[in-house]
Amino acid sequence: MNRRAFLGWGAAGFVALCSGVAVSLAAVVRYLVPSVFYEPPQSFKIGDPADFPFGPPTFLPDEKIFVFRDREKGFAVASAVCTHLGCTVAYFQSDQRFHCPCHGSVFGPNGTVQHGPAPRALNWFEITQARDGQLLVDKDKVVPPSYRLMV
Amino acid sequence: MNLIREIWQSIVRRDPLSTDKGKSELVFLNVWLHIHPAKVKKENLRFKYTFYLGFITFFLFVILLTTGIALMCYYRPFPPQAYQDMKDLEFVVYMGPFLRAMHRWAAHGMVVCVFLHMCRVFYTASYKKPRQFNWVVGVLLLLLTLGLSFTGYLLPWDQLAYWAITVGTNIGSYAPIIGGQVREILLGGHTVGEAALLRFYVLHVAILPSALILLTIVHFWRIRKDGGLSRPTWKLKPNQPEALVTIGAPAQVEPLRTVAASKDKTYGLMEVVTGKPIFETIEADEEEDAVFSYPYAFFREAIALMVTVTGIMAISLFFHAPLEQLANPAKTPNPAKAPWYFLGLQELVSHSALLGGVVAPALMVLALLAIPYFDRNPSRRPTDRKWAIWLFTIFVVVNLVLIVIGTFFRGPGWAFVPPWVHVVAGAE
Ligand code: HEM
Ligand code: FES
Repeated sequence: MNRRAFLGWGAAGFVALCSGVAVSLAAVVRYLVPSVFYEPPQSFKIGDPADFPFGPPTFLPDEKIFVFRDREKGFAVASAVCTHLGCTVAYFQSDQRFHCPCHGSVFGPNGTVQHGPAPRALNWFEITQARDGQLLVDKDKVVPPSYRLMV
Repeated sequence: MNLIREIWQSIVRRDPLSTDKGKSELVFLNVWLHIHPAKVKKENLRFKYTFYLGFITFFLFVILLTTGIALMCYYRPFPPQAYQDMKDLEFVVYMGPFLRAMHRWAAHGMVVCVFLHMCRVFYTASYKKPRQFNWVVGVLLLLLTLGLSFTGYLLPWDQLAYWAITVGTNIGSYAPIIGGQVREILLGGHTVGEAALLRFYVLHVAILPSALILLTIVHFWRIRKDGGLSRPTWKLKPNQPEALVTIGAPAQVEPLRTVAASKDKTYGLMEVVTGKPIFETIEADEEEDAVFSYPYAFFREAIALMVTVTGIMAISLFFHAPLEQLANPAKTPNPAKAPWYFLGLQELVSHSALLGGVVAPALMVLALLAIPYFDRNPSRRPTDRKWAIWLFTIFVVVNLVLIVIGTFFRGPGWAFVPPWVHVVAGAE
């Protein structure tokens, strides 16, 4: 083998080795990203409209949402997950605002940040009525705070 | 009788310890002891120079390994069993509360001691040439220590654990571009749940401890290869006359370089190649300030070990490791606080998540890593390095003040509440 061929093969081998290592590293990272999430579905039924009272919102702890029901305007669903670092906010009927216990963020009645470090307003989720008459919430569909469902 | 002596000799294979040869052989014929030199400098044994903080940190880690392995016998890393197992350890398992407490307090102690050790290394300027890289290894050890504490925090699966980790991992997701993905890989999902507990467990009992052990070996090896611990060189009597050492020269060839011999001791390739060692050498007339490691160094290290172990045991007899209610994703305790050593971070985060949670800590770590390469002042004498000492002290004080504010001055809703004002828990 002459010098030229040796260097050529050597370089090819080196490139092959590096790509092999790179591909393996990528595979390791990909391995760590779950292909299936065993998490509750993002879209779920929350019950009959009649289950929800007018007035103060109903808090659903497992889904971490507030369901608002207003006589004139209808249903709306707000996320209870603080946009700062994910603590669960509480709704105070007294001042009609959402308060986060972790770093003191306060969100107004329509979810906008009024105080504290939260960078964004609370999310509002789409709520519809399924064929069987039950209310259906989809957390993948974020809607403006003005969104309402009339039943 | 003779047989017993013969067996003993076959194990130790050294001369009696009453002889100098025996004292040296004890060190270098023994695989565990030979990380020590046969002789050490008197100044390095002085308590006030190191406070033995590196050793104490190491011994705390040994306690953590042993108690941790014991706890693993009763712990299942999935919710809600994880929490039940904690209750079992607290109320059913023989000596369970004691073991849990030892593991918990040793972990807190290790965070404290590793930080203090870093401070002593800084104030004695021991990160300077030729020890720059060992400082870098040290910073990595500090990060691993914090990582171990953080991953361990989730394992009890109580309210404290759940919310500290929820908040902590959400901080990470503010990192630009990769933040979200990193969090997803760390948690194995989008929220802190089963997958997250399992992954934190794997990190806590396998990945991080192995990494810490490997780096500790490097750290100790480098102490030897950097010439033992640093010494307050300016206090030593001057070398009469300045001896010259040749560098990198096999016997008869031109030397690469001739330099003044330093007072630091370094080991080179003495026996493999002819010529002088690569870095720095020791003068014959300095030998007088060295003593045999056995018994002087070993005795002191044994004392440090015993004080550490009995100290942690004593604390664990009187103070139990806390355990709150079962993790409840729906109800955030108010206030929800991260582990205390991250409360400075949480305090920053309460002002801005991106600046306080990502930018500031990243800059701090980079600054720590860069110190030995950035500080070009060769002197280790405190009066020559006023600036460095001031800057580092400010760094330490700012960190402490933030932690104290986060720990004692923050009440419900992260409102500023001095500790002497009593707030009714849960009042809203
Ligand atoms: C798991 C964590 C660590 C362990 C177990 C450890 C252990 C040790 C031990 C046993 C020593 C011998 C002297 C002494 O006791 O002070 C030492 C020295 C040293 N450590 Fe660490 N250490 C750790 C973390 C760190 C950190 C965070 C730094 C700095 C950022 C650091 C930098 C150094 C340096 C530069 C030396 C040499 C000091 C000298 O020559 O005087 N180490 N370490
Ligand atoms: S998580 Fe709500 S203010 Fe920080």
